[in-house]
Amino acid sequence: MSTPMGEKDQYKNRIELLQGTLDMLILQTLQWGPQHGYGIVQALRLRSGDVLQVETGSLYPALHRLERQGWVQSEWKQSESKQRARYYRITARGKKQLASDLGRWERIVEAIGSVMYVKPEESES
Amino acid sequence: MKWFPSFGFQRRKRELQEEIDAHLQMAIADRVARGETAESARQAAAREFGNIPLVQDVTRDMWGQALLEQLGRDLRYALRQLRKSPGFTITATAMLAVAICANSTVFSWIDGTMLRPIPGARDTGDLVSLQRGERNFSPTPPFSYLDYRDLREQNRTFTGILAYHHDWITLTGGAQPERVYIANVSANYFDVLGIKPVLGRFFLPDEESRAVPNVVLGYSLWKTRYAKDPAIVGKSIELARHPVTVIGVAPEGVVGAMPGLRDDLWVTLDPLGTDVWRMTHRSGGAVWLNVIGRLRPGVTRGQAAQDLDTAMRHIVAAYPDDHLGDNRITLDPMWRSPFGANGYMAATLPILLAFAAVVLMLTCANVATLTLVRFVARRRELAIRQSLGANRIQLVRQMVLEGVVLSIVAGAVALVLTSWTSKTFAWFFPANSNPIILNGSMDHNVVIGIAVFSLLAGMLCGALPAWRSSHAPAIDVLKAESASISGGSRNRKLLSGLVVAQIALSLPLLLCSALFLRTLRNLAGANPGFERDHILTASVGLNIAGYSHDEEQLIRHKILDRVSALPGVKVVSLTDWIPMTLGHKGEDAYPEGYVPHPHESLQVYHAEVAPRYFESLHIPILEGREFTPDDDEKAPRVLIVDQTAAKRYWPGQDPLGKRLRVWGRLFTVVGVARNSTHIFVNEAPEPMVYMSFFQVGYETIVQVKTEGNPVDLAPAVENAIHEIDPRLPVFDVRPMRESTQVASSFAVIQSALAGMFALIGLVLAVTGIYGVVAYRTQMRTHEIGVRMALGASRVDVLRLVLLQGLWVTGIGLALGLAFALGLTRLIARLLYGIGANDPVTVVSVVMLLGAMSLAACYLPARRAMRRNPVTAIREL
Repeated sequence: MSTPMGEKDQYKNRIELLQGTLDMLILQTLQWGPQHGYGIVQALRLRSGDVLQVETGSLYPALHRLERQGWVQSEWKQSESKQRARYYRITARGKKQLASDLGRWERIVEAIGSVMYVKPEESES
Repeated sequence: MKWFPSFGFQRRKRELQEEIDAHLQMAIADRVARGETAESARQAAAREFGNIPLVQDVTRDMWGQALLEQLGRDLRYALRQLRKSPGFTITATAMLAVAICANSTVFSWIDGTMLRPIPGARDTGDLVSLQRGERNFSPTPPFSYLDYRDLREQNRTFTGILAYHHDWITLTGGAQPERVYIANVSANYFDVLGIKPVLGRFFLPDEESRAVPNVVLGYSLWKTRYAKDPAIVGKSIELARHPVTVIGVAPEGVVGAMPGLRDDLWVTLDPLGTDVWRMTHRSGGAVWLNVIGRLRPGVTRGQAAQDLDTAMRHIVAAYPDDHLGDNRITLDPMWRSPFGANGYMAATLPILLAFAAVVLMLTCANVATLTLVRFVARRRELAIRQSLGANRIQLVRQMVLEGVVLSIVAGAVALVLTSWTSKTFAWFFPANSNPIILNGSMDHNVVIGIAVFSLLAGMLCGALPAWRSSHAPAIDVLKAESASISGGSRNRKLLSGLVVAQIALSLPLLLCSALFLRTLRNLAGANPGFERDHILTASVGLNIAGYSHDEEQLIRHKILDRVSALPGVKVVSLTDWIPMTLGHKGEDAYPEGYVPHPHESLQVYHAEVAPRYFESLHIPILEGREFTPDDDEKAPRVLIVDQTAAKRYWPGQDPLGKRLRVWGRLFTVVGVARNSTHIFVNEAPEPMVYMSFFQVGYETIVQVKTEGNPVDLAPAVENAIHEIDPRLPVFDVRPMRESTQVASSFAVIQSALAGMFALIGLVLAVTGIYGVVAYRTQMRTHEIGVRMALGASRVDVLRLVLLQGLWVTGIGLALGLAFALGLTRLIARLLYGIGANDPVTVVSVVMLLGAMSLAACYLPARRAMRRNPVTAIREL
């Protein structure tokens, strides 16, 4: 019983690394309309040009955590292909969260960018 | 927070499964649509998804509800660990069960007596018992009917106030007269208590002071004597040869309002109209009622006492002559009401509960020691689990759970034991003339109590060692194969601390029990000032059997004649009171011409005794004379005072010929008797006046001094009385020695329980120190081997091990002594003939515990000394 505990910790770490970004990506995907878990994976892959591969081991825990935090809501519905699936929909609080996540993300990108693209003369002085 | 997380948990588990299935189905469908075969699509989708159970597991963690599941897992683990070491499990469970049972037993006694003062009554927490004047330990009924009625009508803080007078009477009309316990009660008695009849009705307000011969039967009397006759209401029965009508039956378990004493039936205050005097006066013999009130909601006891005090002051102002002495009103909650048994209970049982709590703490320290040793032995397993990712909280939780499981099992065992031990309380009360119905009760309070005790014990003996063990850094433990030394030193302090605690806790138990045992011996050996051997007493229910006054006097003389003619009888006398049977009669007595100060109470005990009473009990008359047959109703009233009374009323003067005013009449002192015990051997002496039985005697108790064993004469005495009139009720025929045992009941309870607790404490402390010293010596086997190989002698080894134990013992004894001397102050009031810090007792108890601890250290030391150094070094 100690073995799965160890592996579980690994998964947890990976979630932590992606946390924030993954939440933001999921919320952004749901901005375009309610979607199920598989749909979110596909949407992220398509939009990112096959770059972003979300692992199910991160996706479902994240979805359930977002739901617990009240940023998404879920309901069971039939998909176009008559498959019964759980659809997630972003809530008003989720939208607010997305906006603040996005703001933070932009600040980080900007900050990282200003570090990475330093003008040479400035670094010399 | 959800109240039933497990329901939601199962549903959500199913939904998650379904969600993942849907994901897979859609992935497969996509792949098939892209042209893959069904089989390869399924495999690829599954591969892509990953470890399904793991995903479920991690997702479930997000719900924050997996706690229950984890708990179940930890519980199974704890059970498995406990099963692995049955010796520890059984020992620890047994010890905890005994300790919890000690607590729950005493608690069940408190629950059955103090917490349930009036069985069957509603909300007894709102009831208070009224006391007027001087407070003392065993007061007489404090109120007259008129005073009671005024208080009832004038107060603004009570929803109701009831009054009762506890007495006994004969139930006639059957083949044999039967003595039953009866209460004269106010009409609102059952209303105030909140009791409804099972049959018929209770008393009506307008029946209260009128002569209405109605009676309410108690359930058990209805059951035993009238075979639960459903048509009993309206029937006529005979009380003391007077017909009375049954109007109702009280519910099962209702025994009246005096805590610890039983009433068999109830009548109104003057059902036959024969007590008009008592109903229309405010002092003397008219002060005969105990009073209990029910507070209005939101009113405190203090406010109510103030309210009643004001009302009482008005009454005193209106009738000053009837209210000499102290008239302040005090209120007591029923759990410590001085009327009935609870005054005694409140003085005894809480202290015993405190002792039991000490036993529980001691046991927890002992079990914690064992647990700690076990965790040290399991440190490798714990370290491995820690390095595999179990965090400290998880480890602690699992270890604490082992303690909790132990204590839950122990609690269950204690529950079974207590259901029996709770009923043993009645054993402590020998047969006597009081209808004592004290016993423990096993109800939900006790079950909750046991649960609390167990939980506390589980936390104490699980949490401490668990927290300690989880501290061990995993790497060190795994690396150091001979971790015995480093692992041991980490826990050495805690182990020693636990042993110190055990010794420190057992010392006060031993000291208190030694003090109680010596008190008991002193009480038994004390001279009560009167003869208890070769005396037989028998109550004759003359006054309660419906005879006229002249008939009574005639029968009394006949009894004296008949019984003194019996072979083996030395002296016969009559009395209406037996000393040391928890009862006494009190009355205000004033010297002639003395004007008492306002609020001054001059109460004395009184007893009415016939000629030769003092002779038969060997109570010397120091001055003057004993009563003679001439001191009858035609002669001037006389009395004999004891030394205490003589000193109070006429200090430095000759009391003979002086006169006392009692019940408004003057009595002349004709003698002074030596002091003797009235209620308890360890009482503060109260002044006592003896009056002549044939002048003012009421109840009739025949007192026979016998040549041989008084029990042998009992049938002959009973026969002699029945020869006079076969319908005479004779009861409580007992040797004086037996009757007076009830006076030491509480000392017996205290010393028996304290003794048992102390014995448990001693055994636990000694096994505790033995276990720890033996364990630590074993841990040091290797080291001791090295020392011996390097030239240490056997004596050195012995000293090494003994010193270790002696340190711990010494600190434990010092702490224990401080604790004990603090605790004995609490019991000082209950001791007799011995000081609370009696040096001989203190020293012998310390020596006993010290010697036992030393012996417990010596055994492992000797074993270590005898080890072969070579094998010792090899052993790790």
